Amino acid sequence: MKILIAEDDLISSRILQKNIANWGYEAVLARSGEGAWLALQDQDLRLSILDWMMPGMDGIEVCRKIRRRKKYKYTYIILLSAKDRKQDIIAGLSSGADDYMTKPVNFLELRARLQTGKRIIDLEDKLLVIQNQLKDIASRDSLTKIWNRSEIAKFLSEELERGQREKKPTGVVLLDVDHFKKINDFYGHAIGDQALLQVVSRLKRKIRKSDKIGRYGGDEIIIILPSCGLAEIQRIGDRLRLSVGKRGIKTDLDSVPVTVSAGCATSELPATASADKLIKVADGALLKAKAQGRNCVIVAGQDPEPVRERKNA
Amino acid sequence: MPDSANLDKFRPIDFCDVLDRIGGDTSFLKELLNIYFQEYVEKKRLLEGAIAREDFTQVCELGHSLKGASANLSLIRLQRVAITLETAGRERQLQLAQEAARSLEKEIQTLKVFLEGNPPGKSF
Repeated sequence: MKILIAEDDLISSRILQKNIANWGYEAVLARSGEGAWLALQDQDLRLSILDWMMPGMDGIEVCRKIRRRKKYKYTYIILLSAKDRKQDIIAGLSSGADDYMTKPVNFLELRARLQTGKRIIDLEDKLLVIQNQLKDIASRDSLTKIWNRSEIAKFLSEELERGQREKKPTGVVLLDVDHFKKINDFYGHAIGDQALLQVVSRLKRKIRKSDKIGRYGGDEIIIILPSCGLAEIQRIGDRLRLSVGKRGIKTDLDSVPVTVSAGCATSELPATASADKLIKVADGALLKAKAQGRNCVIVAGQDPEPVRERKNA
Repeated sequence: MPDSANLDKFRPIDFCDVLDRIGGDTSFLKELLNIYFQEYVEKKRLLEGAIAREDFTQVCELGHSLKGASANLSLIRLQRVAITLETAGRERQLQLAQEAARSLEKEIQTLKVFLEGNPPGKSF
């Protein structure tokens, strides 16, 4: 683990460096507050020993700057000073330091305090991992593990904003498994779930890394296509539809024939300025696809001449 | 006849204390003392200038810096003089600063003489 030693006194810095190396840490040295701040831009530098009195920016100011910054992992700070009055210790800790030691440093004590700092950093890392896991769980559909409705709506809003900035269209394909209720009723929900998982798996194989796939409703899947306009979306919709329906889906019981209908829309169309509106337009196209016999793709705003191969149960 | 604890008070360096701080490494102590003496040359020059200009802020900063370095090397007597120098700077006392600067030089020479006869690593 790396430790920043910000200390203008060369002797003190050398002693700290030697002891820290003996304890298995890697020392990063700075001789001023500005040097310390520059070194602390390294995200891997999580433990720091800051001298209070340094030329230019002092240790107190470095502490304040560290605590003000966002999007950085926690940095554990031990403030060193020859100032040993109560009000100095309070001022040091109030600036954002986690710990305060007076000079000359007792090195057995410093070692123990660094271990405390390391323990806190490790604990924070574990909490961050769990927080990210929880965030991921909360953002994904529990069955298919693709993004859930609220998350995909968020992605679409962001993508629409980006598309507006970059003057690029954003496409949406809303897919619905044809007669999914019948599959569930006939084979049971366990087989219905297996079929849905396979549908998602087949769709995922046909999309780009930059595309986003989510579960919009029960058997409705939504795909967000950045930089995709009306000129391409019909072809993409067909490719997705064919990837699902080209052969039956193997389940524990049987091979189940499954097809999908798709409604497509892009931000080039009128009344598609927001995520909700764009999805609504795509949903309208999906309803048309359903009405026209299913297993087909309808692009909103285009002449309804759906490509259809077969009707399915 | 003073006992060994009392004798330590008269020594310019507390070897036990400083070696405890640096893991008993006497060659490292020699390296640190060399740094101390090298830095002192520059600090002395700065201090003389600061006193001549009556720049008490710099007198205080130099006193503070010498105090820290002396404390790290357990140079007890030098640390005491450095504290006086820092106080003189903070309280803007020219005469006290001049006296402290002279004492500092005297203590440095005492330390050098002591270390010639008692280099780090020699058992006490």
